Amino acid sequence: MTTESPEQSCVRIGLGELHIGSEPMVCIGIGSCVALIIHDRERSIGGMAHVMLPSSGANNGKPGKYADTAVNAILSSFGDRVSKNGNLLAKIAGGACMFNTFSHRLNIGERNIECIKTNLQKHRLKLVAEDTGGTCGRTIYYYPEKNGRVFVRRADGSTLTL
Amino acid sequence: MALILKENECDALREMGNIGAAHAATVLSQMLNSQVEMSVPEIQVVDISEAHRYIDNEVAVLVIFQIQGEVKNGGYVLLHLQTGSALRLTDIMLGLPSTAREFSESDRSTLMELGNIMVSSFLDATANLLGIMMIPSPPELTIDIPHAVFQSLLAMEGVDIDEVVLFRTELTSEEHRINSNLMLLPNPPMLDEIIRILNQILQIST
Repeated sequence: MTTESPEQSCVRIGLGELHIGSEPMVCIGIGSCVALIIHDRERSIGGMAHVMLPSSGANNGKPGKYADTAVNAILSSFGDRVSKNGNLLAKIAGGACMFNTFSHRLNIGERNIECIKTNLQKHRLKLVAEDTGGTCGRTIYYYPEKNGRVFVRRADGSTLTL
Repeated sequence: MALILKENECDALREMGNIGAAHAATVLSQMLNSQVEMSVPEIQVVDISEAHRYIDNEVAVLVIFQIQGEVKNGGYVLLHLQTGSALRLTDIMLGLPSTAREFSESDRSTLMELGNIMVSSFLDATANLLGIMMIPSPPELTIDIPHAVFQSLLAMEGVDIDEVVLFRTELTSEEHRINSNLMLLPNPPMLDEIIRILNQILQIST
């Protein structure tokens, strides 16, 4: 069994936030949100965003919150540290549809995923792995210094590595 | 949009929740035929990026109701039960010997029914105080990470929110080792309406 660092030793990325660095990071309790990870394999650093909604509309205060701004926000936060795009790999997890009756009309999770994928393509970033959709919540760990490993623990107890 | 609640508004909300929760606690106590303790309700304005500090990350049973009635899409009432507590509760309600097991269909429907009765009496008492109509939607039951559920509810709002008001009170039965939380998550239009009415009540009484 894989042992994971305790959540306390990871940087917790709250709803709508993003973080850049080399230390372990975690998005706890993701439902229809999506954890977006852009990993720089040359420098072993990366960014993780806890994306909540597909479109930012007029609100630009929290770029990590929206699928249409998060990719760009992570890339620009790399700043001078950025490698060539060929060294950047993207992974996503989340976008579940958690309710039977409430959320049919909106399906935010699916729209979040679609919108992130479109934006990754726009920046010519390769999406190398994903664990998306379904009906189950997830907690997602990202380890920039372990080859950008992403570990997903689903609410039903199953786990997987991306 | 920053939500600011005045101290007396907080007190009024807490008192309103207190009355509602006391009714729900009575229902639970009758179901268990045992004493149920109720904590002093907490009212918090929570920045959603900090929600993980307030909302549990342990997989739990959540029975969720949308508030319907005079204010459309008024928000949500949630009954949160630790999984062990939830199983013990259904065992007691169905008169079964206590066993550790996976949730069955009958566990699920029993918990939805319990939620229905508790939340209906919570909303009834609250609505009576406010003089408006509040009805719970049919229940939605999920066994998942509470933060993931909370986050998914917020994302469905259609309005982009950065802060929420969270009301929570803990209901426990020591005898049966049952631990549950009743949470109220009012949407901004509902919250405005509640505060407006509570302010009126406060003015009349002073």
